[in-house]
Amino acid sequence: MNYQPSDYLPIIVQLGAALAFIVLTMVATHWLGPKRHSSKKDDVFECGIESIGDARTPISVKYFLVAILFVLFDVEIVFMYPWAVNFKELAWDGFVEMVVFMSFLLLGFIYVIKKGVLKWEK
Amino acid sequence: MNAIIALSLSGIASLFLGFSTNRKNLLITTLLFVLVALGLNLADWNHEYFWFNNMLKTDNLSINFSSVILLSTALVVAISRSFGDDEEHTHPAEYYAIMLFAAAGALMMVTYENMIMLFVGLEILSVSMYILTGSDKRNLRSNEAALKYFLMGAFATGILLFGVALVYGATGSFNIHGIGEVVSRTKKGMELFEGGVILYAGIILIFIGLLFKVSAAPFHFWTPDVYEGAPTIFTTFMSTVVKTAGVAAMYRLLSISFPAVYGLWGNPLVWITCLTLIVGNITAVYQQSFKRMLAYSSISHAGYLLITILAKTPNTNGSILFYSLAYSIATISAFAVLMIVSENKPKDGKPDESFEALNGLSVNNPFLAFVLTVSMLSLAGIPLTAGFFGKFFIFTDAFSNVSPLFKNILVVAILMSAVGVYYYFKPIIAVYMKKGEIAEIQLPLIYKITLIITTALTIILGIAPDLVKNMF
Repeated sequence: MNYQPSDYLPIIVQLGAALAFIVLTMVATHWLGPKRHSSKKDDVFECGIESIGDARTPISVKYFLVAILFVLFDVEIVFMYPWAVNFKELAWDGFVEMVVFMSFLLLGFIYVIKKGVLKWEK
Repeated sequence: MNAIIALSLSGIASLFLGFSTNRKNLLITTLLFVLVALGLNLADWNHEYFWFNNMLKTDNLSINFSSVILLSTALVVAISRSFGDDEEHTHPAEYYAIMLFAAAGALMMVTYENMIMLFVGLEILSVSMYILTGSDKRNLRSNEAALKYFLMGAFATGILLFGVALVYGATGSFNIHGIGEVVSRTKKGMELFEGGVILYAGIILIFIGLLFKVSAAPFHFWTPDVYEGAPTIFTTFMSTVVKTAGVAAMYRLLSISFPAVYGLWGNPLVWITCLTLIVGNITAVYQQSFKRMLAYSSISHAGYLLITILAKTPNTNGSILFYSLAYSIATISAFAVLMIVSENKPKDGKPDESFEALNGLSVNNPFLAFVLTVSMLSLAGIPLTAGFFGKFFIFTDAFSNVSPLFKNILVVAILMSAVGVYYYFKPIIAVYMKKGEIAEIQLPLIYKITLIITTALTIILGIAPDLVKNMF
């Protein structure tokens, strides 16, 4: 447990290598690649179709709600993995704690449904 | 810590109650929830317990702090009046639930034994406050305040967490008593032991994170904008519960973990305290808005509370608690009067929160004028109010400390109290001496009872401070 600052040298080397690779590739592509300019090439969004309007259009807040709910229930899975790995050691205590955790989550889910967040057309 | 569990469960309960009952019942049930939590909290009195694998520890000091927090929460809930009658744009069930969660977070911050719990409690409290600050969705000011608070608060929490990580790296413990043991084994003063630099950097970073939360200068810049932008009821909550919890958390950490390195955090804290007092008080003088003035006043009171953390006498526990209590009840009455007067007198469709809004309040509303006067006198520290004894105890603590530094702090603090008298008298003058038209304001019963309680408590504590002081 007695690390000297010099023990971290490999990390610095790794960091330097990563940065150097990025700088090198950026500079190299800049110099190597051919450049052609035309009105179509310089278009903001080049995919063959003429772009219409602005990128900053208002988007329904429902998308954000669904996204944030997805993140919530997604992250909750993270807590299940360590529990599953230590399932036997944690025994009934761990099970009870997990049930409490899941029931809190479930209450939140019921609340979301009752609030009508998942009703898309409203 | 059964109060934390009770608050968490009742928070969820009040979320679901929002589907079934009306607004008035919600207020009563939430108040009941908080009082139940207060009772459960007091049930631990005189028992020192470690909870949840040494995550929390309740002792009499933390129970006292919890009681102050829960009392403030109850009073704030009581003056919430169910958040107006706008059915479409206000969500009282959610607001109450978030307030209950925030109170649970605040209780964790005063009872933590493990640094992780400090972080978790702080985050529960802060995230709740970010939401409540922005709860007036269609008010641009409220949105701005919420965003500012969130960005700055997130940074402060990050800095705190970095500090916790460094302290863990240096001491190998998250437990505050464990950290304290390792730190006290180091040589006295600033001499380095192995990993000492990391420990000191960690302490300073934790320190910055917590000072941000109690809005001490130079980490106070968010305070006026956020306090002004947030709906007044949540400003009240912020300036009482959040401040008490922040100061208590800081005091717990500094007095248990880091007394051995007093020289390290004590010296910067002297400067921070003086700066906080000066910035808070001098800037408050120039404010046109009553609400903004109260925001700066809350900065200056953070300064007074820091003095007693610094002074480190055996009386510090009592002084800090008494001051928090006196400050909280006076602030709640001041905001309560501001809220009801400004809502009755809209300017450009928004509540008028300037001093002028109070002009001539005493003509038709002598009760409100009296409540406001008592709370202002208490905040200014005029005798026969709780605020006087709060300041008195703190100054006595500072005076009894042998270090000559404290005489300097004392001079600054007393000068700044004198400045405080000037701006705290502005609303009193507006109420009694300026001419203005304010019709008689009908107070709901629960509102009236709350104001009577806070005013009576302020006066009783001002006449007989020993009633409460001896308890601490």
